[in-house]
Amino acid sequence: MKITAFTQLITVLAVTTWVFLLPVPAVAIILVLELALLLYIKHDRLTMAAIGALTVFTGMMILLQLIFGSPLSVSLTGGLRMFVMTTAFLCLLAATKIQDIAQALVEKFHLPCEYAFMLTTALRFVPDFLTDSATTLDAQSCRGYSNRGNVFKRFYSYLAVVKPLVMRAVAKSDTLALSMELKGFGANTYQNMTPQRLCFADYLVLFLVMLLSLYPLWSKYI
Amino acid sequence: MNETAIKFTNFHYGYINSDIILHNINLDVRKGSFTIISGPSGAGKTTLCKAMAGIIPYYYGGRYAGDVEVLGVTTKGKRVSDLAMRIGLMLDDYESQLVSLTAGEEIAFSLLNHGFAAEEVEARTKQVLMDVGLPGRENYQLDELSGGQRQRLLLASVLAVHPEVLVLDEPVSAMDPDGANALYKLLYKIYKEYNMTVVVVEHNINFLLPYVTDMIVMNKGRVAAQGFFEEAAAMTYAIPELRRNLPELWQVKLNLEQRFGISLRAWRKEAEALEELKEKFVGGALG
Amino acid sequence: MIEAKAVNFAYHRGEPVINDITCKIEDGEFVALLGHNGSGKTTLSRLFMALVHPRSGDIFVDGDNIEKLEPADLAHQVGYVFQNPDLQILEDTVFAEVAYGPRCKKLSETAIKEQVQAALQAMGLENLADAYPRTLSFGQKRRLGVAAALALNPRTLILDEITNGQDEQEKDDMMDYLQKLNKEKRITIILITHDMNIARQYAKRAIVLNDGNLVFDGTTQDLYNGVRDLKEWGLTQPIMAILSAAFIISAPTVEDFCEKLCLKEGGER
Repeated sequence: MKITAFTQLITVLAVTTWVFLLPVPAVAIILVLELALLLYIKHDRLTMAAIGALTVFTGMMILLQLIFGSPLSVSLTGGLRMFVMTTAFLCLLAATKIQDIAQALVEKFHLPCEYAFMLTTALRFVPDFLTDSATTLDAQSCRGYSNRGNVFKRFYSYLAVVKPLVMRAVAKSDTLALSMELKGFGANTYQNMTPQRLCFADYLVLFLVMLLSLYPLWSKYI
Repeated sequence: MNETAIKFTNFHYGYINSDIILHNINLDVRKGSFTIISGPSGAGKTTLCKAMAGIIPYYYGGRYAGDVEVLGVTTKGKRVSDLAMRIGLMLDDYESQLVSLTAGEEIAFSLLNHGFAAEEVEARTKQVLMDVGLPGRENYQLDELSGGQRQRLLLASVLAVHPEVLVLDEPVSAMDPDGANALYKLLYKIYKEYNMTVVVVEHNINFLLPYVTDMIVMNKGRVAAQGFFEEAAAMTYAIPELRRNLPELWQVKLNLEQRFGISLRAWRKEAEALEELKEKFVGGALG
Repeated sequence: MIEAKAVNFAYHRGEPVINDITCKIEDGEFVALLGHNGSGKTTLSRLFMALVHPRSGDIFVDGDNIEKLEPADLAHQVGYVFQNPDLQILEDTVFAEVAYGPRCKKLSETAIKEQVQAALQAMGLENLADAYPRTLSFGQKRRLGVAAALALNPRTLILDEITNGQDEQEKDDMMDYLQKLNKEKRITIILITHDMNIARQYAKRAIVLNDGNLVFDGTTQDLYNGVRDLKEWGLTQPIMAILSAAFIISAPTVEDFCEKLCLKEGGER
C-alpha cells in the first residue's frame, strides 16, 4: 500500500492538530502506532538514535515546564504532544524520499521551487559537510588543540569549525548555483517531473484523516 | 561548413572588482579536435573555459570586450542553460556540480528541465550510464559511488543532452595516475564515438599525449601559443619559462632537435620515443 | 623517530586497511610514502599522528608508545599538513593562523612571536603576515599550512599530497622549501604523494603500500630505476628514469639527459 508524499504530508499536519483536539489516551495510542510504524519501516541505528535523541529532548522540555511551575499532569501532556508531533515528522522522513516531499510541496502546496529544492540540496550536501568538519577538527587537533576535558570545551571546539565550514559552504554553493543554472533549473523542473497521482489508498487515508480531524464535532455523540 | 568549434575575437575580461584576467584573446578551437589548454597557475585557463560556456561574462558580470562564438553562434544574449545543450562544462570541483541524490536523477535533471519526454529521458539515462562505464546504476545513491565514479556520473549527466563540445577544467587533479589514465581513456573513447570536440585544461600533459591534437598555452592572461600540437609545442619551447609545461618527452625531443639540428618524429608514446632515440643516439658524456 | 611495529588497522567493522606493517623512520630522513588510492598510505600517516589508533601492534614516536595519546599531544613533535588547505584555515590573518598552535600550548607572547616569525620565514611568507589567508594563492595557502605546522618546532613533518593541483614552478618552490627544512634544520619529512618525479628528485627513501601491505622499503633510486615493473602497485616509472635506464646514464632532468646523449655514427649535424 503506497500512499503519495502529499497524503503523508497532510497526515503529518493533521497529527499536529490532533494532539490538541483528541483526548490524552488517544494521543498516547497515536504515539504507540507511530513508533510501531517507524520501527517497521526502518530499524537501523540512525533511527534508534533519532528516537533516543527525541526522548531526551522531550524529557528536557518536561523538566523545564516543571521548573517554571507547571503542574505535573500539564508538563507530561505537553511533553507527550511534542513527542508525537516530532515522531510524526520522523515517520514522514523515513517513509518518503525527500525528492517526493519536495515535489509534493511544489505541486500541491505551491511552494516556490527554489525552497523545495533546498530540501534535496540539504540532504545532498550535509554528509559532505560532516566529512569536511571532521577534517577541520582533525586539523585543530594536529595544531595542538586538545579535545579532552569537559563538554563545554568540546562544544567550543565545534564552534571554531563553523567559520571554515561556512566559507566552504559559500564557495560550494556558488558552484552549485552555477551548475543548476547550466542544467536549466527553474519552474519547469518540478512541472516536468512525473506527477504523483492519488490512488485508492490515498483517498482512504485522507478520508480517515478528515474523519479524525472532525472529532470535536462528533465526539459528543459517543 | 564551419570548421571552428569555438572562436574568441579580441576578447578581454575582468571579474567584478578585480583586474583584467584575459587580455586580447584571439583563439580558434578546431571542430573535431582534442585540444589541451596548458600554462602556469593563474594564467586564466579556468576563466577561458567559463567564457567558452558563456558563463563569462553573462552569468558573473564584470568588464569585457570582444566576442566569443560557439559553433558559429555568439554567446552574447544566450541563456547559459541553452548554451549547455551544445557545449558541456565540467569544472574541477565536480562534487559541487552534482545536484541530485541518485545517479538517475542527476542525469535526468537537465533533460527534464528542457522538456524531454519521460521515455526519452529513461533511454538516454541508460545509454550514457553505459557509455561512462556505470551500467544499471540509475538508483544508486550518490554516497554509494566512489570519487572516480561520481566524476564519471557528472560526465554522463553532461553528455546526456548530446552536446557537440565538451570542456573539462582540470578533471583529474584529485586522482591517482591510474584513475587519471582511466578517465582520459574513457574521454577519448567518447570523443571518437560521438565525433565531439573536446577541450581539456591539464597541467600534466603526459596523461594526454596519446590523444591530443591541438594545444593552447596561456601565460599571464594571454595566448602564448596555439595550433596543432606539434606547432604549439615548438612555439612554447621557444619561450624558456614555459618549457616546463610541455610533456618531458617533448622537452627532450625539442631540446635534442635544437642541440643537434636534426628532426625527430612526433612521439605520442614512450615506446616510440625510445625506439627513435635508440636508433639515432648513444649514451655517454659529450666528448 | 617514528616506528610502526606489526600494526593492523581497519575502520569500524570494515575491511582491513593496514596489514601487519612494520617500519622505522629515523630523524632527518626524507621519505616518500607511495601507493595507489586506497593503498593505506594516508591511513598509515594518520596512525603516526594518533588521529586513529591501531587495532593491534604499536606506534612509537621518539621512543614513546602513542596508544593513549591524541594528536594535540604530539603536535610539538610531529606536524601534520592535510591535503586541502581551505579546510585547515582557522584564523583571520596569516600571523594568527601560524600562531594558533603556540597559543594552544599557552606559550609566552615573545615565544609565540619568535616561533611564528621563524616559521613564516622558513616558508617564504614573512611579507604576508597581515594578509587574510583566503586571499592567498593556492600555492601560498599550501605553504601556510606547512608554516602553521612548523610553528611548534616539530622534528617531523607529515605532508599529505602537498603538491597536488599545482603547476611545475609552484611544485618546485614548495619542494625547495621542504628540502631546505630537511637539510638545514634536520626535520624529518614524510611526503605522501602520487608524483613520481617529485618523489624521485627529492626523497631519499621510498615506502610503498599496496592494498594495506608494505611492499617496498628502500631508496627512491632503487624504486624508480627505470626498469622495475611498478604496475601491480598502481605506480609507474618516471619517463626520465626509463629513458636514462635505456641509455645506462644517470640523468634526473631533461637537460642532464640531453647533455649526455651523442649522435650515433652517421648522424648528421
